[in-house]
Amino acid sequence: MITKIRKRDGREVPFNIEKIANAIYKAAAIVGGSDYNLAMELAEKVADYIEEKYKKKIPEVEEVQDAVEKVLIEEGYAATAKNYILYRAERTRNREMNTRLMKVFEDLTFKDAEDNDLKRENANIDGDTAMGTMLKYGSEGAKQFYEMFILKNEHARAHKKGDIHIHDMDFLTLTTTCCQIDIDKLFEGGFSTGHGFLREPNDINTYSALACIAIQSNQNDQHGGQSIPNFDYGMAKGVAKTFAKLYQQNLLKTLELLVDDIEIEAKVKEVLKEIETIDKIIPTIKTIEEYCVVEAEKLANIIDDLVLIAKAQVFATKKAIQETDKKTFQAMEAFVHNLNTMHSRAGAQIPFSSINYGMDTTEEGRMVIKNLLLATEAGLGNGETPIFPIHIFKVKEGVNYNPGEPNYDLFKLACRVSAKRLFPNFSFLDAPFNLKYYVPGKPETEIAYMGCRTRVIGNVNDPDREVIYGRGNLSFTTVNLPKIALNSKGDVKKFFEILDDKIDLVIEQLLERFEIQARKKVKNFPFLMGQGIWLDSDKLDWNDEIREVIKHGTLSMGFIGLAEALQAILESHHGETEAAQKLGYEIIAHMRKRMDDASKFYKLNFTLIATPAEGTAGRFVKMDRNEFGEIKGVTDRDYYTNSFHVPVYYKINAFEKIKIEAPYHELTNAGHISYVELDGDVSQNLDAFEKIIRTMKEAGIGYGSVNHPVDRDPACGYTGIIGDNCPKCGRAEEDHGFERIRRITGYLVGTLDRFNDAKRSEERDRVKHYSCNH
Amino acid sequence: MDNFIQIAGIVDESIVDGPGIRLTVFVQGCTHNCEGCHNPDSHAFDGGTKMKVQDIIDMLDKNPLLDGITLSGGEPFQQAPQSAMLAAAAKEMGLNVITYTGYTFEQILARKEGNSGWNDLLKNSDVLVDGPFILAQRSLMLRFRGSQNQRIIDVKNSLAEREIVTIEY
Repeated sequence: MITKIRKRDGREVPFNIEKIANAIYKAAAIVGGSDYNLAMELAEKVADYIEEKYKKKIPEVEEVQDAVEKVLIEEGYAATAKNYILYRAERTRNREMNTRLMKVFEDLTFKDAEDNDLKRENANIDGDTAMGTMLKYGSEGAKQFYEMFILKNEHARAHKKGDIHIHDMDFLTLTTTCCQIDIDKLFEGGFSTGHGFLREPNDINTYSALACIAIQSNQNDQHGGQSIPNFDYGMAKGVAKTFAKLYQQNLLKTLELLVDDIEIEAKVKEVLKEIETIDKIIPTIKTIEEYCVVEAEKLANIIDDLVLIAKAQVFATKKAIQETDKKTFQAMEAFVHNLNTMHSRAGAQIPFSSINYGMDTTEEGRMVIKNLLLATEAGLGNGETPIFPIHIFKVKEGVNYNPGEPNYDLFKLACRVSAKRLFPNFSFLDAPFNLKYYVPGKPETEIAYMGCRTRVIGNVNDPDREVIYGRGNLSFTTVNLPKIALNSKGDVKKFFEILDDKIDLVIEQLLERFEIQARKKVKNFPFLMGQGIWLDSDKLDWNDEIREVIKHGTLSMGFIGLAEALQAILESHHGETEAAQKLGYEIIAHMRKRMDDASKFYKLNFTLIATPAEGTAGRFVKMDRNEFGEIKGVTDRDYYTNSFHVPVYYKINAFEKIKIEAPYHELTNAGHISYVELDGDVSQNLDAFEKIIRTMKEAGIGYGSVNHPVDRDPACGYTGIIGDNCPKCGRAEEDHGFERIRRITGYLVGTLDRFNDAKRSEERDRVKHYSCNH
Repeated sequence: MDNFIQIAGIVDESIVDGPGIRLTVFVQGCTHNCEGCHNPDSHAFDGGTKMKVQDIIDMLDKNPLLDGITLSGGEPFQQAPQSAMLAAAAKEMGLNVITYTGYTFEQILARKEGNSGWNDLLKNSDVLVDGPFILAQRSLMLRFRGSQNQRIIDVKNSLAEREIVTIEY
């Protein structure tokens, strides 16, 4: 007689025949069985069988379950047996999930980021900190939960197998990706962060501080990048207010000093108030002369010395301009410092912030741009290169591209700063696919880019609202192109067939995710929706579904490894042969067409993105190498090449690279970027830098930047290129390491430690498109 | 007949051998033997590889990004006729020419009549970076130069003014 069984953890517990009877009864009940006595009879047969088979040995749980299956089948209860097996399999899966998740947690807890790729998955998170680890517990737990219970089985399977990559899966049921914040509208009349109301700001200092707060607050409602597309236009208003205030202050002080009248302060204030309320004019940098005429007339009533009045006005103007400039610099400096220090994104990251500027030609806007660039050039407290925000300088003919244009000096300055600090990047408003949306005088139609490349402007849902403000990406999923190529074994027709299947799958998955997002309510996004940041969300109430308004967002499909896919099919990539470039273009054009078709069909903005490959690049190739083996030019590196880029290890000159990559910019309407790698200290050769940027513009690139090494000696503060010795103080690296900043998938990273394995490997392989021999 | 030049290497787009983007030719062979030279492998006259001058000219022609050509080495004045050919072709394409040499400007002026191609190379160079590399005067902070004694000379103006006119980059 059996008296005990051994559980999985090794404990021995009393044998209970009723447990077996119950399990059989439940399995039978699913197919309509309701005879408990029969279940008990079968359970007894199981007990007899075990008795017979295991004699005196204490049976294991698994052995008991095997016996149940055997008895059910032998006794002719096939349907019940099937249910029992399914039930058993599910239990096993749940158990495994627990152990798998616990294993992940164990690694997160006890391994340093240095040894744990998971902790370095995102280069901006310090996986060694308490909040960084907590963030990972949450996201790893959420991912597994969604895989098991939320995602459709075939989507989860395709993700797990590496056919596709569902990005930011840890946020699957929670929120959308990113948003372009119209800072101008937000500040008008003030706003609330949910924890307190902030009045409309009144000088540039507050403007910049609130801009940070807006980015931070919105970041807590979304998992992706936060962008201010109209930074110069928005901040310019703060500069104007500052100037007006400083002019009046200076005038008051000057008159107090020069006029012998103890009541002069009150009298002048009266005059200033009168001009503001009755004449309704305020002093601005551009109109100060006209203002002074009106003001002088009124001041003449209280001061009978016109020369003195004029003198005071000239002095106040001069001082006000100087001080406004200085204050603007300080405000921009604070802005940059804040964005690099507030670890407010889930407690572990600084927000992914981007700002676009370059087009505002007013005195105030120019002052913003100039000082922002100068503050970035100066660097952080010890002269370090700021990692955030990502700067995007908008380049436009007629505004800042050619000598003589109003902001040409700022374009030159942007080149100088980027040659030293890697930012700004450059966006090109004249690229035909960007220009077609542009309406002069309407900043909301000027293309903006977010984070490392995202672009949102077209709008099939509401064709009259093809604007950038208040919109962003909802979610995106990447297709593994090399795997499709490997599976099609060089057969191009087969390649397109499989590709179409994957695209169908991605569209379906994006729609599923959209459905989850659409059911969310305004209250789930207190800032993004509650403060009316998202387009049309100001028309909704706290408990309304967000379905209709998020239709302004984009559902994007991405792709990775075009180069490796071409290599697998044609044995050459698009940097090498014209045949590969032709096929590469066909593939991406096809993907774009499928997105356009889906947009038309669903009336939703399906768009195509050139995936930046954060984390994805290494995951795919590892799996594909396991499945297909090491194939030269395809799976023989630790990463797949970023989107449509020419592989970083391939030697090609800059002009060729730009020419080859440019056509793909037009196709990837959800975002793109091209880089040129420079070796040598490009801040010492700005002509070369500017030429690359101009070449990008002329080639029809939408968004581009130049990568070059930025090293810094923390001992003497030298920033530039440092080999074995610091050029300034001459010391060697051994004593105390130099800091080396590099750009990885669009973000700057301070040291190489936080790169995951695939990214480290990619940085190692980069061939500079220029090299130096002496 | 094809003209050949012995070279140590070519950098097809350099940003460190003068302003803008340049094609840099390191000619092979040099007798200056400066202590601490960055390219000691380029000293032997039987080293490096032989290349058709026309092939280098074709490279210049193909890359619209180029601002100019830089002749470095090695010692361009020790393969002066071929170097001068490259310089002349580059100028014809509207590119500017920078020539690095271990000789001083004064030495070149004094000896240019006796040496084949020197005059042509000098006349076709917009800028001459002259003088040997002197280790004791080495500085890593100098733009486009190795040691303090070296000068960046505006050739045309110097010849016209009959005194050395230097350029600040």
